[in-house]
Amino acid sequence: MPYTQEDDEVQNPLRVGLRAETSPEPCAMVVFGGSGDLAHRKLLPALYNLALGAHLPGAFAVVGVSKSEYTDQEFRAEMREAVGKFSRIKPVQEEAWADFAAGLRYCAGSFDDPGTFEKLKAVLDEVDQTRATRGNRLFYLATPPSTFPVILKNLKTAGLINKVGEGPFTRVVIEKPFGHDLHSARALNTLVLEVCDERQVFRIDHYLGKETVQNLLVFRFGNSIFEPIWNRKYVSHVQITAGEELGIEQRGRYYEEAGILRDMIQNHVLQLLCLTAMEPPVAFDADAVRDEKVKVLRALVLMQGPEEVSERVVVGQYRAGSVFGVDVAGYPEEKDVAAGSKTPTFVAMKLLINSWRWDGVPFYVRSGKRMPKRATEIAIHFSELPHSLFGSGATQPNVLVIRVQPEEGITLRFSAKVPGERYRPRSVSMDFRYGTAFGASSPEAYERLLLDALRGDQTLFTRKDEVEAAWRLVDPILRVIEAPEAPAPLPYAAGTWGPPKADQLLARDGRQWRRP
Amino acid sequence: MTAAGAGTGPRTNAPDGPLELAARFEKGIDLAKVRALVAEVREKGGLPAEEVTTLNLVSIHFSQGGYERNRASMEAASALHPARLISLIAEPKKEPAAVVARVAMVRPRGSAHALERIVLTATGAAVRYLESAVTGLLAPEVPLVVLWGGRPEGALLEHAADSADRLIIDSGTRPLATLGTVARLLRRGAPVGDLAWARIFPWQALAADLLDLPNLREHRAHLQGARVTTVGAPGPEAALLAGWFASRVPKAKVEIVAGHAGAAVATAAEARASEPAKRGDEAALPRSEPVCEGDVQELRFEAPPAVFTLRRDKGILVAQVDGDDDGAVLHRVRLPPDAPGRLLALELKLLAGQDEIYVAAVEQAARLLALPAGTAAHPERP
Repeated sequence: MPYTQEDDEVQNPLRVGLRAETSPEPCAMVVFGGSGDLAHRKLLPALYNLALGAHLPGAFAVVGVSKSEYTDQEFRAEMREAVGKFSRIKPVQEEAWADFAAGLRYCAGSFDDPGTFEKLKAVLDEVDQTRATRGNRLFYLATPPSTFPVILKNLKTAGLINKVGEGPFTRVVIEKPFGHDLHSARALNTLVLEVCDERQVFRIDHYLGKETVQNLLVFRFGNSIFEPIWNRKYVSHVQITAGEELGIEQRGRYYEEAGILRDMIQNHVLQLLCLTAMEPPVAFDADAVRDEKVKVLRALVLMQGPEEVSERVVVGQYRAGSVFGVDVAGYPEEKDVAAGSKTPTFVAMKLLINSWRWDGVPFYVRSGKRMPKRATEIAIHFSELPHSLFGSGATQPNVLVIRVQPEEGITLRFSAKVPGERYRPRSVSMDFRYGTAFGASSPEAYERLLLDALRGDQTLFTRKDEVEAAWRLVDPILRVIEAPEAPAPLPYAAGTWGPPKADQLLARDGRQWRRP
Repeated sequence: MTAAGAGTGPRTNAPDGPLELAARFEKGIDLAKVRALVAEVREKGGLPAEEVTTLNLVSIHFSQGGYERNRASMEAASALHPARLISLIAEPKKEPAAVVARVAMVRPRGSAHALERIVLTATGAAVRYLESAVTGLLAPEVPLVVLWGGRPEGALLEHAADSADRLIIDSGTRPLATLGTVARLLRRGAPVGDLAWARIFPWQALAADLLDLPNLREHRAHLQGARVTTVGAPGPEAALLAGWFASRVPKAKVEIVAGHAGAAVATAAEARASEPAKRGDEAALPRSEPVCEGDVQELRFEAPPAVFTLRRDKGILVAQVDGDDDGAVLHRVRLPPDAPGRLLALELKLLAGQDEIYVAAVEQAARLLALPAGTAAHPERP
C-alpha cells in the first residue's frame, strides 16, 4: 500500500527505547565520477568502512559512472586497490570486501549523453532485482560543478528522480563548491530545485562530518557552565584559524578559479563560525540547527566597497620558503598557475555579528596555504579581569581553544599560583585530547556524512538559504579583490602565518593572533 | 591492619607482553605499595603520570580462567571507553591465604592511550580484603561499572549491584533459568546490563527498521503474534528477544520454539568460554559470532495479512515480508563483526541506571518461561 502520512501517526512499537542504531533503508548509490579522485580516496574507502562496521543496509549497491571504460570486474579491482591504500582500517578484510564488492557495478559513459542514463537505468533496475535495493537511490555528484546541470537534467529526463513521498526515495549529494559566487550559487540552487525538492538535496561540507566539529554542539549545548559566559559580556573576541602546511599540490587549475575565499572561507570557516556563534536550536533536528546557522550568517556585517574591504580583509599569496625544513616553491611557480596570478592563497578577516549576543565582539578568521603547520582551531578569548589583585599584567585572560585538527581537543587556559612564591600567578593549560579520552579511532568525516545521507538526515548538510547567505558575505569581498584594478595579494614566505599586515589587523585592536 | 609486601620485581606475562610488576601480601593488602607499583610501571613505561579515565571497570571472577576469558574484551572495550581496569579474582577454597597484586600498563590494539590494569588475586581467607582494597583503588568521580564473571546470583552480587553504577552480566553464557534471578535483581532496582541483550541488538534493529519502511508502516497497528525459533533448545538470548517483543506489543501472543541444532558449533556457553583462544588472536579477521545451540535462528511476527520473517544466514540477517499488498519484500543486514569487547563497549554506552526496555524484556521473558522469581540471597558459590 502506498505510504500515507496517517501511517506515521501510529508509533513504531519496536523502535521505542531501542539502543541499536537505525540502519539505512535498502539503497543503490550512484557515484558520478566513479573513477575519480574523490571516489578513490574518500567515498569507496568510507563505504567499505561502513560495511565493515555493519552500518550499511544488507541490500546495498554502488554504481560508478564515469567516462573511463571499465568492466564491473575492473572497477572492483580498481576500488579494491583504493580501499587498500586509503581505508583507515588496514589490512583489507577479504571476506567483508568480497561481500561489499559483490554490490559494486560500473556504467561507462559521458554525462552529457542521454544514452548513459538509459544504460544507468537498466543497471539500476537489475540491481533492484539482484541486490533488493527497492528502487531507492542516492546520487552522489563527485564531479566538477560544471557537470551538475547536465547530470541533473539527464537524471530527470531518464525518470530517475522520484518526488518526495511518491514511491522509493531519491536523494542527491552535491560536493562543494556550491557555485562560484552568489549569482551562480542561486542559479545552481534554482536548477537543483527544478529537479529535486530541498528535502532531497544534501550539500556536503566535509568539515561538518568531523567529530570535533560535531562535538562543538555537544560542548556548547550539552554543558551548562559555558553557555552563560558565551556572549559579549564575557568574550572579548574570537579567533578562527584554518591553516595547512600544504600548497595547492596538483590542483593549480582548480585553485586559480577558486582561491582561498571560495575554497575555505565560504564553506568550512563560515560553518565553524556559525557553530560557534549560533543560538541554541529549539531541537536537534536538521531544520532547527540550520535555522540558527542561517541567522548567524544573516547577522554578519557585510563589507561594502574597497575601503571597508581593505580595512577588514588582508589577502596574501605564498612565495618560496621552507616548510618543516624543506624548501618549497612559491605559488607563482606552481603548475597550472597563470603568470601574474592574483589568486589569494591566504586571507585574514575581521568579521562582526550584529546580534544581542555578539555585538562588538570581533571574529577574526584566517585561512591559508603553506602555513607553518596544519592547524584548524577556534579560540574564544575571554575578557580581561576588571581589576587584578596580583598586579597589573600579572594574569592573562582566559582562553578556550577548540582544536578541530589535528590533535582534536579542547584546551582551557587559566591562571594558577606558582608554587612556593607568594601569589605569583602563571597561565596554565588544561588539556582535553579527544583521541585520548575516546581511544578508538574516529570515523572519517565522509563515513558519518554518507551514513547520514543514506538515513536521510540533513542536519550536517548545508541548506539552500545557508549557502546563499554565506555567499552574501563573501561576494562583496571577491568583487573588490578580483577587480582588475585591485592590488596583487601581499606576498608571504611559505612556512609563515601570512603577510605581516594580517598581524596589523589585530594589532590595531590591541590584540595578536594566537600561535596554534 | 598490617601488610607484608614482597615485591617480586618486574616481569612480563609474555615476551612481547606489557611490563607487569607484582607484589604478594600475606596479610591484608598494602594499597600504598600497589599505588607505588602503578607509579613505577608508568615511569618504566615512559608514560605520563596522569591519564584520562572515563570510568572504573571492575571485573569480579572466581578463577584465573574466568578472568582470562574476559581480559581481552575488557581491554578492547576500554579502547573506546578509557577505564581504570581492576580485576578481582577470588578463590576462597585455595590455600594459603594471600593476595597477589599484579600491575601493568596495557595499550589496547588501535588505541592511542595506555590503561592501568590492576589484578588482585586473593586466596583463602584473604578474599575478605578484596572489597575494601578495590574501594581504595577506584578513580574518583567517574562511574563504577562492575563486570560480573560468575553466576549472576548471591549476596556478593547483590552488594555489587548496590554499590555500582552499572553491573554487567552475560546471561547468554548461563542456563535459561538465570533470567528468573536477573528479573528479581531488576525488580529491586539493580542497574543490570547484559551482554546477551547487546547480542540481540541486530535482530531488534532489523525488526524495527522494517516497520519504519514507508510502505510497511501501515502494519504497525496490527502486530499480533510472534515466534522465536532457536538452534536446538532455547537459550537466554531467544528468551530476551521473545520477551522484548512481548513487552513492546502486549497484545501479541509470543512463543519460543526449539529448532534443529544441526547448524550449531557448540553451546553458547562453550563457544563463549573459548573466547580468548578464539578471539585473542587479534590478527584474525573478525567474523560474526558462530551459531551456537540456543541462539536465535528465526524471528517471525505477524500483522495480518503480512508476515515478517527474520532469519540468520551465516553472517547476515535476512528479512522477508510476505502478504503485504506491495508484494514480497526482502531486507538484509550484515551482522556486526565479532570483535573482542564489542558487546561490552555497547553496554558501556550506558553508564548508570537501568535500561527500561531490557527490564521489561526480562520480566516478560521470565513470564513466558514461567521461571520462578529467583532464589533468596546466599553466599556466592561460583
